[in-house]
Amino acid sequence: MNCETCQLKELVVEPPEIREVLRSILHTILFHRALGLVRPKDVECELFDIIYVQCEDHELEKKIDEKINQFIGWVEKHPNRKSQVCISFYEVKNKHATWFGNKIERFYWEQWYINLHIVSPKPHGKSHNTKAHVVTGENAFEESNSRCAALGSSLREVLLQIINFVNEKKDHIPPLQNSEIVSFPYEISTPSSSDSSFGWHADVLKRMLQTGHPSMLS
Amino acid sequence: MATPSESDRTEQIITLFLHKAQHAVLASRIPHLNLSAPRPASARDRWFHLALGDLPAQIGHHGAVMDPLVVDILLTPRGDADDPAGSPEAVVERWTAQCVPPSPWSAAAPHHPHDGSWHRKTYKKSIILLRSLYALLRLLPAHRIFRLLCSSSQPYNYDLSYRISSFVAPFSRAEDAELKQYSFAPVETLFGQLVVSVQYRPSLANFNLEVSSMPPMIITDYVGSPAADPMRPFPSSLPERVSRPIMHQYPPTGIRTSATPSFDRPHSWNSTPLAHHPLSSASGPPVSEIGFLLPEHYGHLVPNQRPLGETKGSSGYNELKLSPPLSTSASPSPPTRGGDSPQSRFHLETAPVSIPTGKSQHRSPNLSDPFKSLLPPPSPRSTRADPFRKSEGLNLGDVYSNFHIYAAHKGLKDGRDDSGRFSALSSGGSPRYGFSRSSSRLSIQDDLDDGDFSYPFAVDDVDTSDSQARSFDGREAPEDTSSHKSPEYGSSHKSREAEVGILVHMLKTAAPLRQGQGSLQSSESNAEVI
Repeated sequence: MNCETCQLKELVVEPPEIREVLRSILHTILFHRALGLVRPKDVECELFDIIYVQCEDHELEKKIDEKINQFIGWVEKHPNRKSQVCISFYEVKNKHATWFGNKIERFYWEQWYINLHIVSPKPHGKSHNTKAHVVTGENAFEESNSRCAALGSSLREVLLQIINFVNEKKDHIPPLQNSEIVSFPYEISTPSSSDSSFGWHADVLKRMLQTGHPSMLS
Repeated sequence: MATPSESDRTEQIITLFLHKAQHAVLASRIPHLNLSAPRPASARDRWFHLALGDLPAQIGHHGAVMDPLVVDILLTPRGDADDPAGSPEAVVERWTAQCVPPSPWSAAAPHHPHDGSWHRKTYKKSIILLRSLYALLRLLPAHRIFRLLCSSSQPYNYDLSYRISSFVAPFSRAEDAELKQYSFAPVETLFGQLVVSVQYRPSLANFNLEVSSMPPMIITDYVGSPAADPMRPFPSSLPERVSRPIMHQYPPTGIRTSATPSFDRPHSWNSTPLAHHPLSSASGPPVSEIGFLLPEHYGHLVPNQRPLGETKGSSGYNELKLSPPLSTSASPSPPTRGGDSPQSRFHLETAPVSIPTGKSQHRSPNLSDPFKSLLPPPSPRSTRADPFRKSEGLNLGDVYSNFHIYAAHKGLKDGRDDSGRFSALSSGGSPRYGFSRSSSRLSIQDDLDDGDFSYPFAVDDVDTSDSQARSFDGREAPEDTSSHKSPEYGSSHKSREAEVGILVHMLKTAAPLRQGQGSLQSSESNAEVI
């Protein structure tokens, strides 16, 4: 089975923006992959002028928020880094009996990589000169606004990228097995707080080996 | 070769997809068509696993399965239509959905498995396509305007409207240059490719959207106004409208609601006013379905027939003002004593006038009438057996106006009928409906059936004026014995007016209504003397 992979455009975000960015992206992906009966819910980003759609499912929202909290916790310990959040959809097949028990095998048929470059917010320049301090403050405010607007624009591009990918790749999607809202099992992988980034990449490598196809990094 | 059932299924998928796509577009672009999906979702709404609510059938896609669906979203300036300087409406988005058959000269048709799985794949892919369409609707610039118009209580200088057609009218070169296009990946079906695309303006900065300085629109033909035509019949579609509360009976100023309605307003003086009452068995769906049926209301506000297969709708208030909220109210109706009888007409005419009493309890059939608060306050009445025995709070002015209306509309013949009714009242029969203090027709019917009622003007004051008034009353009283019919009813209009004046005076000096039968008999005897 083909495992389609989508590397989303990298976003430069500050820590306070991580939650909104990840929520909008993860919910948009899941809205296109939760093929059960859904009542779409429009959600307005607090920081950006963007509306994204959620499935009205409390469990799903809770799970996503937990993963986002986990990622934020990791970011606090590893600031100013590039990192990824991965959401993977898989099928469970062929329970192989082993010495240690039944092994559940997962076949990943789709993976999404959300690339984030976490940057710390720039401190305002200190000046003994009051006027200069005010001007610096104003500049910082304008700079922050323009950076936020640029991030909003980039986020919109990412959401559009998701829509493009979802539309172009449909043949690899397995048949619907149930009538639940989230039709396919999925997992959201974040760099673990206890592990280094190496440990996280090891997980990704392991997953790649399971699918039998090299991850497409383009 | 596909089996007939697969063909049918595919056709169904395509038809419903077009319908759903249209619904998604309109719900995301036209203010006040922003429908919430009821719980649980109806069978039709569950299609494509996207519960959006039910779109009115009138707005649905009516073309053949292979006909294109073209939905134009228009930014319409709100202002003086005669203003030559006003900018014309502009297409900000054009959504096109169509099943495109394979071209005859294309390569060999793709192999379709005959195991019935093809339409399942088509359906699955259609689900994803619809999700993408729904998500993209929120990313395009027009959605911002939609949100602005929906959320603002201030009128803006533009409105969002739509136009549905079955053909793709080409844009001018200038328009084409301003539009960008996005096409979704097609979905293969048995009949061809299901293609959805959108042409949109990437920037709406040219439209200077701002709060309008226009005054709020005033409804001039509200129910009861002199400008209103009292004899306009109910529209045939009213039952559905009545069953569905109008979300924006008083829409936020400047937000025009749907397009010109093709029906007339009903009025309380219609002979069968309860026909369209939500609780009426003769009316539309039961009250419990109000929430589900809301979209159909908007469907009636949209003209469905347009030349060249076009359907246009607007979120304009101009259209809604022709069908004000009161039109859909089940205005209190008198008991129907036969649809066209003068008595029932009289009941209808006097029903809206309220005669307040101390206790405003009144029985009303339209318990769930969402427009009750918009009606003139109904005549409050006691729930006691003979409410007309109460005098407190009796608004004589209203009574006079009631009677004046009655007198003005009744001729000799009617007068006799009313006389008969009055006499029935005075003999302890039905309430004096001509002086109905209640706008609740059913409650009045109850009163009419109430044997304990005593005529409210049956007083035993012996004033000259009172006696004159009573004579009028008395003349009316003995209805069931024709010998008591007063020649006054055959008199001229002038004497009728005099009688009215007498009656009014009598009312003003009337004792409290709480009187026994004895007072009625004394009034009758006084009448005989006069």
